[in-house]
Amino acid sequence: MSLLDFSSSIFIVAFFLYCFAFIFYCIAVSGKKWSNRDPKVHEARWSKIAFITSSSGLIAHIVFFVTRWIGGGQAPVSNMYEFITFLGMAIMVAYTIIHFIYRKPLLGMFALPLTIIIVAYASVFPQEVQPLIPALQSIWLKIHVTMAATGEAFFAVGFAAGLMYLLRVVDFKDSSKKGRKAQRWVEFTLICILIICGFIVASFGFKGAGYIAQFEQETVAVSGVGEIQTKVATVEYTMPPIFKPFNSTAQYITPFLGIDNALLETPSWFDGVNAGRKLNTVVWSIIVGLLMYAIIRLIIRKPIAAAIHPMLDGIDPDDLDEISYRAIAIGFPIFTLGGLIFAMIWAEIAWGRFWAWDPKEVWALITWLFYSAYLHFRLSRGWHGRPSAWLAVIGFVIVLFTLVGVNLLIAGMHSYAGVD
Amino acid sequence: MLLPENTKCECGHQNAVGTVLCETCGKPIVKEIIESSEPLEMRYDGVARRSQKANPDLLDKIWNFFSSVKIAIYLIIATFVGAMFGTIFPQANTFINNFEPSIYYEETYGTPGKIYYLLGLHNTYNSWWFITLLVMIGTSLVICSIDRVLPLYRALNKQQIRKHHSFLTRQKVTYTTTIEGNAQQWVQNYGQALRKKGYKVHIDDTALLAEKNRFSRWGPYINHIGLILVLLALLARGIPGWNLDGYVKVVDGDTVPISGTNYYVKSEGFKMELYDNGELPESLQNTGRVKNFETNAILYACESNCNDDYEQPQLTEVLRHTILINDPLRYEDLKLHQFDYDLTPRINAVSPMIINKETGESFGPFDLSMVDPDLSYEVGPYRMKLIDKYMDFSINSDGEPITLSREPNAPAFIFNIQGPNLKETGEVFMYFPLQKDKVRFSQNTINRELTDKIDIKVDGMENVSFSEATTFLNVRMDKAVKYLWIGAIISMFGLLLGTYWQHRRIWLRIDDDTLTLGAHTTKNWYGMRAETSYALGKVGIELEPKSLDNGGNKG
Repeated sequence: MSLLDFSSSIFIVAFFLYCFAFIFYCIAVSGKKWSNRDPKVHEARWSKIAFITSSSGLIAHIVFFVTRWIGGGQAPVSNMYEFITFLGMAIMVAYTIIHFIYRKPLLGMFALPLTIIIVAYASVFPQEVQPLIPALQSIWLKIHVTMAATGEAFFAVGFAAGLMYLLRVVDFKDSSKKGRKAQRWVEFTLICILIICGFIVASFGFKGAGYIAQFEQETVAVSGVGEIQTKVATVEYTMPPIFKPFNSTAQYITPFLGIDNALLETPSWFDGVNAGRKLNTVVWSIIVGLLMYAIIRLIIRKPIAAAIHPMLDGIDPDDLDEISYRAIAIGFPIFTLGGLIFAMIWAEIAWGRFWAWDPKEVWALITWLFYSAYLHFRLSRGWHGRPSAWLAVIGFVIVLFTLVGVNLLIAGMHSYAGVD
Repeated sequence: MLLPENTKCECGHQNAVGTVLCETCGKPIVKEIIESSEPLEMRYDGVARRSQKANPDLLDKIWNFFSSVKIAIYLIIATFVGAMFGTIFPQANTFINNFEPSIYYEETYGTPGKIYYLLGLHNTYNSWWFITLLVMIGTSLVICSIDRVLPLYRALNKQQIRKHHSFLTRQKVTYTTTIEGNAQQWVQNYGQALRKKGYKVHIDDTALLAEKNRFSRWGPYINHIGLILVLLALLARGIPGWNLDGYVKVVDGDTVPISGTNYYVKSEGFKMELYDNGELPESLQNTGRVKNFETNAILYACESNCNDDYEQPQLTEVLRHTILINDPLRYEDLKLHQFDYDLTPRINAVSPMIINKETGESFGPFDLSMVDPDLSYEVGPYRMKLIDKYMDFSINSDGEPITLSREPNAPAFIFNIQGPNLKETGEVFMYFPLQKDKVRFSQNTINRELTDKIDIKVDGMENVSFSEATTFLNVRMDKAVKYLWIGAIISMFGLLLGTYWQHRRIWLRIDDDTLTLGAHTTKNWYGMRAETSYALGKVGIELEPKSLDNGGNKG
């Protein structure tokens, strides 16, 4: 077995350990109400088991990272699969650090599913080691990407704690206008998370079924020196085409539910690489996500948030508020260094200007400005509790947009990062 | 809330107008705060700021506007929302040439594109409003900092140890109990426990002030100074002569001037290397994945005859460098970056033979340079004068020969040839070095009967010299960049001080048997409570850290 094969196997081990740890945290929380036991002893015992499991998962994940680095001969942060798995690992590191500061095990109940979703999301992308193109052959690739991802991982933990805070404090019996508004938004946040799960389910589902469709797309581009170039490229879909690529003709389409042609065409202004395929994927994610939401609602017969809310009884909301804030405060300098300063150093080396207003750069700046507004609101304007938790949630949405959405919707110098 | 009268505290200290808590004993001196039971707002220890003047004039009003954190947050939000608009469609400056924004946006994006262009969003980051926002943030950074750092310095520089009761009991972390035994000894013991946690402890009889990490309070101000430098560096790119952003196209072997500078650059060859299939995973096989781009460049400084059309410039070599994407050529402030390439070969020179078709003899070869040919040649018995040349030969709509560009894409030469069996005054011969042009423009028809007498012909590829590639280099200069790095380092240093350390203070006084304790920090209350209760535990008072919590907003 080669080192890379071993690396892939240990990654699966890490994934399952995370899943088990999540289940153990759920037992720790919900088992308190089971009869014939002391709730405190039960919680302490099971959260310890869960923490040991999640830490083992993290160790396996780190082994994956190191063996892939050695086996592949380059730092595994150079394509989307590697970057997202690294982000998942960084979230676990951030979670473990926060755990050691606060010793509030129940945070794992939210941090772990977040990691699981992210790790599963990574697995959708091609997993082979790809040799670096010249633009990425720099030591700053490792430094900039790992540091920025670590900062973002702390923001992710801040998000998990913030969402947990909201689920803990929002009163699901309140039928006033304000109360209903809060309930709706919390539910909406959960639906968004389900849509991301929908993407993963749809990707694996269609991939497992071996679905394939091909289009021939003609693109007109203006080269760097002003020449107009027309290219014809084959675009391969792994999900049934609801949106076909702009200006394309179908080559081959596996019929799905009796439909054997694309329903709509991607608008021309979707700008990124393979925009049509990405848009199609997003639409499928929304459909599958909403379908899963409908099924869950049918089973539990109430909003998901209202079902989670009673499980969090007995957790001190002030602790969650502080954890959310501290995670962000720890992540902010790391993100500043990795996401902005190191990025500027690399830009200065590679492009000759430290700042070029490239969309990815601008969104990193927007993320940074957003979290600085968060810190000023909190430290100088006394925003804590609910407004602060909402900002933590919105902040992470901005982080995700910067990481994934920018590559999806906007072309720029970072477009080689290979988002599907 | 700012009453000009009655700023004298009962402890006898005369406070400045705008003071909220007495500068000495900490007792609230503003009516609303005295009457409230909420935890005290401890910002800058309740000391008056410059912006809290009684009768502000216009300058004061401007000062007050920019000194508000609320305004600062609004400015931050406005900036990031504005920055978002700039990412909807590509910015105009991402296109290099032949770009007409008024047409491009509407053509590419339809009506939304037209609106985008009309609103000026195609140039968001250089627009007056975006620059204004950045300048306003800079102003706010300066004024907010000055407005707060001085009062804060005063408040922290001379602190009284024994604080007023209402100051202690209205902290967000507070504790009251009765103790037995010697009060002075108790205070000493508690102080000892706090020293172990790294506190500097000041004791005044039965009162105590323990403090640590005061330096962290300066973190935000240091950070803001760094940010001001960063902003100035960003704006300094607009200073004439500080910033250069251009392109230079260099064919292999050519030496070309770099416009806007006194330098010339020569390319000794551009190379592109692809990965072998053995190095690639299956999905990338035969995709032509690039392993390396490089330009072997030589930089020359021009001594004289620079940019002169008739004289050769005098050049001195200053630097040789292999330019890679992540390894530009750097000389003083000048940087040359690999930007693009063109692998279309360019013909540089040919060495053809002259053939006497009547006798079958051939003479030569002679050297004919494309760009810079000699004006006369002597080859065997033939004498040739160059009458005219076209680098990119074509026939216009009037049927006249023209050249389309200065690139030798379709070179053509017109010679006057004298020699055996030719007219005394010479005959005109047109020569296309490239076989494809010879056919395309019918060289043989043009030269008529001369075609049967002589021919000029290249004998084999070894007699043709090519440049294999053209490299496009990005020429950049940014004199502000060193200030940016200094600003970034300062800012990062301040940020670390302010976030990874927290200023913590514990005050305590014992009156008769009553112990009153208050503690304050700017962030991480969890840690504040933990240390307070740890030290209490050391002197025999065991309690849950959480029980010290007195509510209130916590940063």
